Amino acid sequence: MSREDSDVNRRTYLKYVGGTAATVGLAGCSEGGGDGEDGSDGGDGEDGSDGEDGEDGEELPEPETREEHLQRANLRINQRAPWIFLNRQYSVYGIASRLDWDARRDERIEAQAISVTEGEPSVTITQSSMDSGLDPHDHRETPTDNIVVQAHDGVLGRNADGDIIDALATDYERLEEGRVRFEIRDGVTFHNGDELQPSDIAYSVNRVVDEEVGITSPQNDQLAGVTGAEVVDGGVEVTSDGINPIVFSLFASYCKVVQQDWIESRESSAINSDMNGTGPFQVVEYEQDVEIVYETYEDYWGDAPEIDELTIRAASESSTRVSQLLAGETDLIVNVPPQEVSRVRDEDSTEVTAVPSTRVVFNAMRYDVEPFSSVEFRQALNYAIDLDSIIENILQGFADATGQPTLEGFVGYNGEVDPYPQDIEQAEQLVEDSGHADAEITLETPVGRYLRDVEIAQAVASQIDELSNVSCEVEQRDFASLAGEVTSGNIEDMPHFYLLGWGNTTFDASQTIIPLLTSDGALSSYREDEEIDELMADSQNLPGEN
Amino acid sequence: MALGRFLLKRGIQGVLVVWGVVTAVFLLRFITPGDPVTFVAPLDASAELRAQIAAELGLDQPLYVQYADYIVGLLRGDMGYSYLRGTEASTIVLARVPATVELAVAATVVAVVIAIPLGVISATRRREPADYGATLFSLVGISTPNFWLGIMLILVLSVNFGLFPTSRRPIGLFETVAFLVTVENGLAAPMDVGAFLDGMRTWLWHIALPAVTLGTYFTALITRLTRSGMIEELGQPYVRAARAKGLPESLIQYKHALQNTLIPIVTVLGLQLGTLIGGAVITEAVFSWPGLGTLVINSINVRDWPLIQGSLIVIGTGFVLINIFVDALYAYLNPRVVH
Repeated sequence: MSREDSDVNRRTYLKYVGGTAATVGLAGCSEGGGDGEDGSDGGDGEDGSDGEDGEDGEELPEPETREEHLQRANLRINQRAPWIFLNRQYSVYGIASRLDWDARRDERIEAQAISVTEGEPSVTITQSSMDSGLDPHDHRETPTDNIVVQAHDGVLGRNADGDIIDALATDYERLEEGRVRFEIRDGVTFHNGDELQPSDIAYSVNRVVDEEVGITSPQNDQLAGVTGAEVVDGGVEVTSDGINPIVFSLFASYCKVVQQDWIESRESSAINSDMNGTGPFQVVEYEQDVEIVYETYEDYWGDAPEIDELTIRAASESSTRVSQLLAGETDLIVNVPPQEVSRVRDEDSTEVTAVPSTRVVFNAMRYDVEPFSSVEFRQALNYAIDLDSIIENILQGFADATGQPTLEGFVGYNGEVDPYPQDIEQAEQLVEDSGHADAEITLETPVGRYLRDVEIAQAVASQIDELSNVSCEVEQRDFASLAGEVTSGNIEDMPHFYLLGWGNTTFDASQTIIPLLTSDGALSSYREDEEIDELMADSQNLPGEN
Repeated sequence: MALGRFLLKRGIQGVLVVWGVVTAVFLLRFITPGDPVTFVAPLDASAELRAQIAAELGLDQPLYVQYADYIVGLLRGDMGYSYLRGTEASTIVLARVPATVELAVAATVVAVVIAIPLGVISATRRREPADYGATLFSLVGISTPNFWLGIMLILVLSVNFGLFPTSRRPIGLFETVAFLVTVENGLAAPMDVGAFLDGMRTWLWHIALPAVTLGTYFTALITRLTRSGMIEELGQPYVRAARAKGLPESLIQYKHALQNTLIPIVTVLGLQLGTLIGGAVITEAVFSWPGLGTLVINSINVRDWPLIQGSLIVIGTGFVLINIFVDALYAYLNPRVVH
């Protein structure tokens, strides 16, 4: 491969991969809460002054593996402080005590994992909204995902901890650069009784990535870099543009399998009002915007679910969901806000279960406008924040402090990087050093999009405002207009300083760093850092574990 | 004849108002920040793909072309397709109408049933404990925010005492009534009275708290109107004449004075019913009531303009129709308005 080809590949790849997390990030929303693990007190986030690697200018060895590249990028990002690093949200659920269920990190509720210890083997789940249609490839939000995953399997899957597991594929391997192969499970049937064919899997992949096959899927960037699939010798071979180091990770999170004949013989409205998957539950009743009822699919290829009947409904108000749970009208509710947790915990018949989510909340600062163009100024804002106080008082402990964009447990997480500690003196000194003393800044925040977003923004602004040489205020924004500016593709349209949340269910650092913090990132507020660009580009051309 | 002309005039005005609503709502999307493509396209979509999606949604056309297409579509009953769901906006919007109308009517019934007797009692027993009680109720009712009242009713009556369900609308009134008018093979089938009664019980049980929540402000308002109207009427010479004639006090109060008081109350009832259709957003959200209000809010959040426009047009049309009906009723009750 020529150098020019290689550059083109890197650039294309960065774009593709960036988009995956972009979709994941903004599509999901306001999940949160959890079991009050406190953020660590943070070590020295130093120094970032000149782009040297380690603390105190210590030279670090060249990274070799993909994971080392990602870890180095996280260290560099911590030092250059393009964000005020805030917290990792928790997903908090209220659950009837008669159920036994472990919450998943990827915010999906797979009812197959629910067991009933008492009473009828039927379960009702209440989430914040219903689906936007039942086509597994024509949506991009978590509530619809939760409804689709009960009836549809993927090629691969994930367990509750996020580890990749077999699903409709029993084996998978890399054949060569840009080509991987899946061996397909035998004896799997769709809910209409027809047997799963490898061609159904190839069709499903192509339906997502190829606009010419059926629909322009809003999920095509979730299979970033994948260019197509075909049946070869009874298996399915998937081609990618470049190495695609996270291709198996993508298939573990995305691309539900549909039956080609079933889809092609139906109009869009019919596809959006029924499901014919291979999953553990089949649809028996569906009323748009109201509820969906499933029963167990008796010929399911995997372990039979412990529940016979599943109903999913929605209530947009969190207090209504909590009341439904307390009144025994539902068994499992999503997004219990921190202030409602004690109501659920105090009842004998209900419990709270929480798990760290895949979402990070941060304040992005545009690298190209003053005063945020100064590394010292950006670091100063990080030192101004008392993260522990925000987590304890606003999120009631249902969050973890972060000092890097990658969350613990993800590929590329750097365990050596701690959150910035609060240090007012150092913050004020750094502001002086930056040459932007007496700066007046405005933090723009969406309202109600992320768990307690406005309260977090107000706390951040007030702590910054306490510095003697910076004043900060909050501007509340409608999420749609803020998101429109952030995703416009033109950095000059982006706000200078804004709060955002970012979900990444691929459990890979690249899906956060590339879209948000590299020069080619679709939503990047931080560009022209050659070291980070190089580290990420190199990491995407190295084979990964997945 | 004069009434017919009056209604025709009102009808033409109504059409103009609906057209104005359609135009205003259509233009709103051009001054509202936030691009619908943001919520439909992948975030890293190329400019070409974004343009393709915009073209599929019809957003690439000049304003006047989009407007003309929309008006022509509306005249054919086509409100376009939901950006996110891909299904016909009219289907989604019209499916929400029964829930909203049921709730608005139920809230109005609650208001009338409570407010008119309360207002009469308050007016006829001025400066007695009953009057003070009714006045206090009016004050509290007007001052209580819907969302707080709804949540409190759920907490106390549903969660603590289990008297009512917390939320949801498992069956609609029309579906319930349908048990009485079932048709099989083109022939009337036997009425399923048992299913009808079960349906009615379920419906009433579920609509009770939302109707009380939505109707409380309205109840307080009508109580005040009735009270002041009754006080005014009871001071009229014809009331003194009736008393002098020896008519029973109850007949004077409920037949003569109340009947005259009802004219302005009917007007306010009609106008408020229109407001309730469009203004039940909070109550719908608190009780998970699948009406137009929640649809509008959810659609605004993702800039799903066909749904926003469709909902607002239906609400606006409903408002206009109710006003025409009230005008007609008012003209019937007081023929002088026709002239």
